[in-house]
Amino acid sequence: MHYVTFVLFGLTFTWFMVTANSSRRVLAVTVAGILVSTMLVAPPLAEAQGGLVQAIQAVLNVINGMLKNALTAINTARAAMNALYQNFVWPLQLINQARAQVTQMINQYRALMASILNMNLSSATLPTPQSLETMMRDHRVNNFSSLSQSFGNTYGAIPTSVDASQADRDMSDMDDALTLDSLKTLKASDNATDLELQAANSIENSATQAAPGSAPFMTASAVASSIRSQALTQKMLAAELRQEAAHIAHQNGFRKRGATFTTQFRTLMMNLLQHN
Amino acid sequence: MKCFRDALKTTKCWIVGHKLRAAVLGAVLLVVAPWPAKAQFVDPCCAIMAAGLASISSALQNVIGGGLNQILGVDQSIQQFEQNTVWPQNLINQARALVGGLQGIFNQIQSLTQIRINSATLPNSQQFEANLLSRNANQIGQTSSSYTALYGQIPTTTDASQQVRDMVDMTDAAAQDAMKRAIEIDALSDLELQAASQINQSIQSAAPGSAPIIEAQADAWLVRANAYTQAATADLMRLRAIDLANSSADIKTGATNTTNLRQQLMNLLQHN
Repeated sequence: MHYVTFVLFGLTFTWFMVTANSSRRVLAVTVAGILVSTMLVAPPLAEAQGGLVQAIQAVLNVINGMLKNALTAINTARAAMNALYQNFVWPLQLINQARAQVTQMINQYRALMASILNMNLSSATLPTPQSLETMMRDHRVNNFSSLSQSFGNTYGAIPTSVDASQADRDMSDMDDALTLDSLKTLKASDNATDLELQAANSIENSATQAAPGSAPFMTASAVASSIRSQALTQKMLAAELRQEAAHIAHQNGFRKRGATFTTQFRTLMMNLLQHN
Repeated sequence: MKCFRDALKTTKCWIVGHKLRAAVLGAVLLVVAPWPAKAQFVDPCCAIMAAGLASISSALQNVIGGGLNQILGVDQSIQQFEQNTVWPQNLINQARALVGGLQGIFNQIQSLTQIRINSATLPNSQQFEANLLSRNANQIGQTSSSYTALYGQIPTTTDASQQVRDMVDMTDAAAQDAMKRAIEIDALSDLELQAASQINQSIQSAAPGSAPIIEAQADAWLVRANAYTQAATADLMRLRAIDLANSSADIKTGATNTTNLRQQLMNLLQHN
């Protein structure tokens, strides 16, 4: 584009210069040519080089200043977090120490406590009570009929209708029934206690190899076991409540019958006195 | 060729004849003529740009790249630590397997609680025992009638003093309350066992981050279970308190009766 302009200008200027027929025209053409060449044909001014240097320097300043500071800060924070995790929150040394402690306590207590719990407590001396005592404490739930038999052998059968009133027979049967219910509940509870101890041992064994991330599973399972344990305790308490309630109901039954007998006795005495 | 020679000759003649004009024409064309562009590799502008870009590249590599590499190193260290020490997949799977194994034990415990323990042999006591062992809170309504059928009613006003009737009624009430509470507690403990199994199953499919939530729920259930145990214990204590009060009342009644008897004997002796 610049060359085309130059050629056109050159041809036009040369034409005017050649055809000028007076010195005054030569002067006018020269002035006009200089003016036109200055305004139209001359190349545009180059931009100052100082702007580029400043732009590069600005980019370098951003990299070395803001970005470098930001990266340094992020790195510092991440390194601090790493140190916090490894030295304070989950220090490997203390994790291993905790595992070792679990193992040590298993060795120290488990066998000892099991031996204490499994000591023979049997105390009966005569054959029939011995049989009942054994049956009561055997942790088995598949010999309830033998338990009832053994209980009957020790405490006797319900009186016949000839030997006792129906009220006495009912009360006696209810007392025996609730006693046997409690004994059966206790046999089941003993069995459940064995299973609970087994579960506790499993959880504790696993704790010897647990990681901080796997421990919540065991904790949650242990809590669920505690709920079960509470439920079993409640079943025992319910049996105890029935038994105690039957006990005072029995005493109260005597009180009621005492009142009835007293009335009957008074009436009888009055009739006797009237006859005399 | 001849034309060209003629043109040159004419031009030469014109230049010789018009020296001033030829000088001005040459000078103007010389000034206005476009000059060839300078090569970039020797241009100082491009050299500055190249140096600047090299500086930027160096800064990016050293400052940004170096900084990012340090952060990456720390992050890799954290990742490795968390994967190997804090949340190792194999140990988490082991824990889940343990929970699954415990579920078998818990199922055995639950089946133990379902074993029938009924032992009564006579109709009245059988009916009452069935009610007491029903584990069904809806059957609490029938407890009082079965109780009365077995243990009798409160003495009438002709059969006993008001004090004795009150005592008998209170004792019956405490006994029946406790029996009703026993039915409730049995029903509640069944539900607790059911909930504990559900919680245990949830743990098996939990993530390390969600297990503490289930644990919190289990803790809440444990607190609830403790409350039920306390409620049952409270009823047991009430029973024993009433039992003690009855023993005390017997002493009081005995003392009153003794006094009355003494008084009546004295009256009899005085009449004689």
